[in-house]
Amino acid sequence: MSSLGQEELKLDADGYLMDPSTWTEQIACALAEREGISDECPLSKERMEILKFVRDYYKRFEAFPIIRAVCKNVGQEKSCQYHQFPDPITAWKIAGLPQPNPEVLAKIRH
Amino acid sequence: MADELTPDEALDKIDYRPRSSSEPRNWLDTTKSVQIRPGMYCYAAKPESVETLGLPYAREWNPTDEDWKLPENWQEILHEGIKERLERFRTFKIFMDICVRCGACADKCHFFLGTGDPKNMPVLRAELLRSIYRNDFTFAGKLLKKIPGGKRLLGSREMSLEALKEMWYYFFQCTECRRCSVFCPYGIDTAEITIIGRELLNLLGLNIDWIATPVSNCYQTGNHLGIQPHAFKDMLEFFVEDIEDITGVDCTPEFQKKGADILFITPSGDVFADPGTYTCQGYLILFKYLKDKYGLDVTWSTYASEGGNFGFFTSHETMKRLNAKMYAEAKRLGVKWILGGECGHMWRVINQYMDTMNGPADFLEVPVNPITGTRFENAASTKMVHICEFTADLIKHGKLELDKSRNANRVLTFHDSCNPARGMGLLEEPRYCIKACADEFYEMPPNTIREQTFCCGSGAGLNAGENIELRMAGALPRANAVKYVHNKFGVNSLATICAIDRAALPTMCEYWVPEVDVIGVHELVGNALILPGEKERTEDLRMEPLPGVEEE
Repeated sequence: MSSLGQEELKLDADGYLMDPSTWTEQIACALAEREGISDECPLSKERMEILKFVRDYYKRFEAFPIIRAVCKNVGQEKSCQYHQFPDPITAWKIAGLPQPNPEVLAKIRH
Repeated sequence: MADELTPDEALDKIDYRPRSSSEPRNWLDTTKSVQIRPGMYCYAAKPESVETLGLPYAREWNPTDEDWKLPENWQEILHEGIKERLERFRTFKIFMDICVRCGACADKCHFFLGTGDPKNMPVLRAELLRSIYRNDFTFAGKLLKKIPGGKRLLGSREMSLEALKEMWYYFFQCTECRRCSVFCPYGIDTAEITIIGRELLNLLGLNIDWIATPVSNCYQTGNHLGIQPHAFKDMLEFFVEDIEDITGVDCTPEFQKKGADILFITPSGDVFADPGTYTCQGYLILFKYLKDKYGLDVTWSTYASEGGNFGFFTSHETMKRLNAKMYAEAKRLGVKWILGGECGHMWRVINQYMDTMNGPADFLEVPVNPITGTRFENAASTKMVHICEFTADLIKHGKLELDKSRNANRVLTFHDSCNPARGMGLLEEPRYCIKACADEFYEMPPNTIREQTFCCGSGAGLNAGENIELRMAGALPRANAVKYVHNKFGVNSLATICAIDRAALPTMCEYWVPEVDVIGVHELVGNALILPGEKERTEDLRMEPLPGVEEE
């Protein structure tokens, strides 16, 4: 269980962190628990690598990376994204990133 | 959600019988308001997206709320809107007047076939607006509304809030695919009625978010997904890396190269989402091959980074604004002509609207394939050639060296995308390309392909998540035909030439025919094309072992 209180976790109606700049590894744990991904804290090394990569990518490009580019960039096996976060949107959420626009969302999820 | 509804349950839900006695006997009766049901509708447009485009009445509203926060004089706005469009668009006036309600279109719509909802019969969907037209704009309507029973006799009704809600609900349950039009003895283009219907709804700020936000993105950043120039470049560079791993050849493209011969524009979905990304790699491989062998000079643009045009699903004016960017970029770069990627509605916009909207593009040349000398007369005015025409022409002239065995694991069929098929008659070229790149190809039944092709069920801006039940219902006729060739011939791959298809059909297949995979035509080309100096390939573009190669 994460020690983070609900009052520190400011989320929008769809469960995205309101202010991405407030993200910490603690918050990632709380979000992962909320999304039913993991109740361990800290999160596994593999998951943290993915989260840090998508955060970094978002910072540079204000965009979401191509899903299959994620695993290649963090040096994990080809289906790492699927194995660690079966629904890629949960990875963005746990990484504290804002909600993608509806077309991006549909293209990621289809 | 269809996630919660199994395919068998979804099939059981379809009901073609006349409606139950608890419902109004006469469909014109709007005393019982339309039931806007979750799973069947898309979320309302976000106010910021409507505002960016300068479209009216941006506000938060919810389709399931009683109050849609309409402007006070909304009936007057609609009345004036209809009046103006009757004067501007002769087609609209004719389509309002000439329908005899013969019903030839009724069972041709994938949404009617997949739901059984009578208001999804194209004739009845159009009648939602036509009934108001008759009441307010025809002599008979004005006369008969004063007589008891007159409205029923004529099929006319007042513009009530319930009638408006009904129009909104059903105009966003039409993918503007135009299959119904093929069967109309009068040639009524029901899609044009939906187009005008949606344009009228936009006068009241009643767009859906899955259209409004991509349009707003496209207006600001050049593409629907909102990919900025440096990100667009980064995404293509990722493909270049993957291609180099697979082939050993560096396919780095040019960006905004002034004086290039050809500007290439494709839907942004191709650079972002699988399996479109593999099609995109196919384009890169083709251009590299043509550059090395024949010196073809192609450039991409991070500004004109969208082939699609969701403005088409909003209003004529918005479509025009988004379309203009392609030609502005072609002019700025000084290219000779434009080559367009595998996209659906983009080609209807180009072929049927562009020329009188932003054209003629006199500053460009009539497209000539510099390698074969073929002059694309069909594109003499728009100056834009479909990549399947271009590739088919190269194959026909023996200019491409292709190794079919690399696609030997694919037993293919081809889904004609509605707009290239019915909007530009592109029927043979994609098949010609597929057959040159793979051996096993089987057609779906004749009444489900070519001009009679069935829609993916998610076009015209309806490929959202929240209306998944509608999408899966609308995809049923197409899926049924896919299942038929899967069972009969062992088809495992559904080829297509549209970015919405590449996003929508995998969901359809997963739901209705899980054994079948979706693939773009230029992914097949990319696999088969033998690049000069390539290493011995062991993997296809998806980095799966090639047929006959053991996985390590």
